[in-house]
Amino acid sequence: MAEQGVLDVNDGNFESEILKADKPALVDFWAPWCGPCKAIAPVMEELEETYGESIIFARCNVDNSPNTPAQYSIRAIPTLILFQNGKVADQVVGAVPKSHLEAFVKKVL
Amino acid sequence: MPQDACDVAIIGRGPGGLQAAIHAAGKKVKVIVFGRPERSSLYKAHVANFCCFEEIVSGKQLLEAGKRQAESFDSVFVEQDIIETKSENNRFRLVTENGETFSAIAVILAMGIARKKLRVKGEKELLGRGVSYCVDCDANFYRGMDVAVVGNESAAAAGALTLLGYAKKVYLVCPKLTITDLLHEQLNHSDVKIIRDAWVKEIRGGTEVEAVLLTDGDVLKVNGVFVELGAKGAMELAANLGVVFDAETFSFIETNKKQETNIPGLYAAGDITGQPWQIAKAVGEGCVAGMEAAKYAKRLARS
Repeated sequence: MAEQGVLDVNDGNFESEILKADKPALVDFWAPWCGPCKAIAPVMEELEETYGESIIFARCNVDNSPNTPAQYSIRAIPTLILFQNGKVADQVVGAVPKSHLEAFVKKVL
Repeated sequence: MPQDACDVAIIGRGPGGLQAAIHAAGKKVKVIVFGRPERSSLYKAHVANFCCFEEIVSGKQLLEAGKRQAESFDSVFVEQDIIETKSENNRFRLVTENGETFSAIAVILAMGIARKKLRVKGEKELLGRGVSYCVDCDANFYRGMDVAVVGNESAAAAGALTLLGYAKKVYLVCPKLTITDLLHEQLNHSDVKIIRDAWVKEIRGGTEVEAVLLTDGDVLKVNGVFVELGAKGAMELAANLGVVFDAETFSFIETNKKQETNIPGLYAAGDITGQPWQIAKAVGEGCVAGMEAAKYAKRLARS
C-alpha cells in the first residue's frame, strides 16, 4: 500500500476509508489557502513512505468537505487527527516538526 | 519599469535586509526594501561583538546608517509591512499593509523572527479550540461568531479587517497600535471594535474558547481569539509560496550556501534562516543573498 501516497478523503468516504478501516489512520485537515498546511504536506508524504504499511495517511480538504471537520470540532488548520478503531486517539494542531509528528504516529504502531 | 515593479524586493529592514539591499543595488538592479526598522531585533540592542566596531554601538544607529548607505546605492525604501505574497508567471507579487501591490523578479526574505505566542493562561490549552495564530487559515471556521484579534501591528490590523467578512463581531485588542495612517483610517471606518486601553490577561473556556479576560478587568465574550503579534513572518508569508522549513523546528527557512530557498528567485537571510542570532551572520547572509538575487533577476529579465 505504500506506493499509493497520501489518500484524499472527503465527507462521502470518510467513514469507509478512515473510521471503518482495518488500520489506524492519520488525517490532515487542510485547505489550499493555508500556508502552514502547505508547509506540512511534504512531511505527511515522507511519513507515509516510512509508515504507510501500517498506518493510513490521508488528507481532508475542509473547503470541499465541511461536515467532517465540524464533527470533530476543528477550528484551526492544519489539524492532524490520529484515528484508531473509528475513534480519535490523539490530535495535534499547527505545523509541527517531522520528529514531533513521527513520535505522534508511533503511538498507534 | 513601472513604479511598483522592481528586480529585487527585500522584506525586512534589519541588518540582513540592509546588507542585501546594498549588494543587490550595487549590481545595478532596481531594489525596494519593505518594512520598519523597529521590527528588527537589532533596533533596541547594543552591539559589542561586531567586527571592526570597537566601541559599543546602538542598533538603532546602525540601522539608520545602513539605510543611508543602501539609499546611496539607489535602493528605495517603503516603510510598510508586507501582508501577502504570491507567485505568478515567474514574478512575485507583494501586497503592503496599505493594499499597494508590487511585483518583483526576486525576493529576499529577511523579516527575522518574532514572538508569536501571547504566553497567557488558556492559550496553550485552547489551541485549535478557539485559539488561532492564522486569520487567513481559520477565519472561515468563525462564520457568524464573535472573535477577538490580539496584536499591535499590521498582521493584527489586517487580520481584523479580514475577519469582518466572516465573523459577526470583531474586537481588536491593540494598546500600542503601530500601523500606517491609511490602515488606521480603514480600521476607524470599519465595524471593528477597537480596544486601546487593555491587553489580554487570560483566555477562558472549557472545551472551547468562551471569553477573553482583559488587563482592565473587562471580559469579552468571544468564540475565537486570533493571536497575530508583530508583522507577518516566515510561516505567514513564505509557506504559501511552497518554501521548505527546517526539519528540526519547522520555524526557519532552509537555504543553501547561495541563500537560495527551494523556490527559484526566493532567497532568505538573517535570523529567519536560524541561529545564531548575530548581526555578523545576518549581514554575511544578506551580502550573498543580495548578490545572488540580483544575478537571478538580471538573468530572468533578459530571458
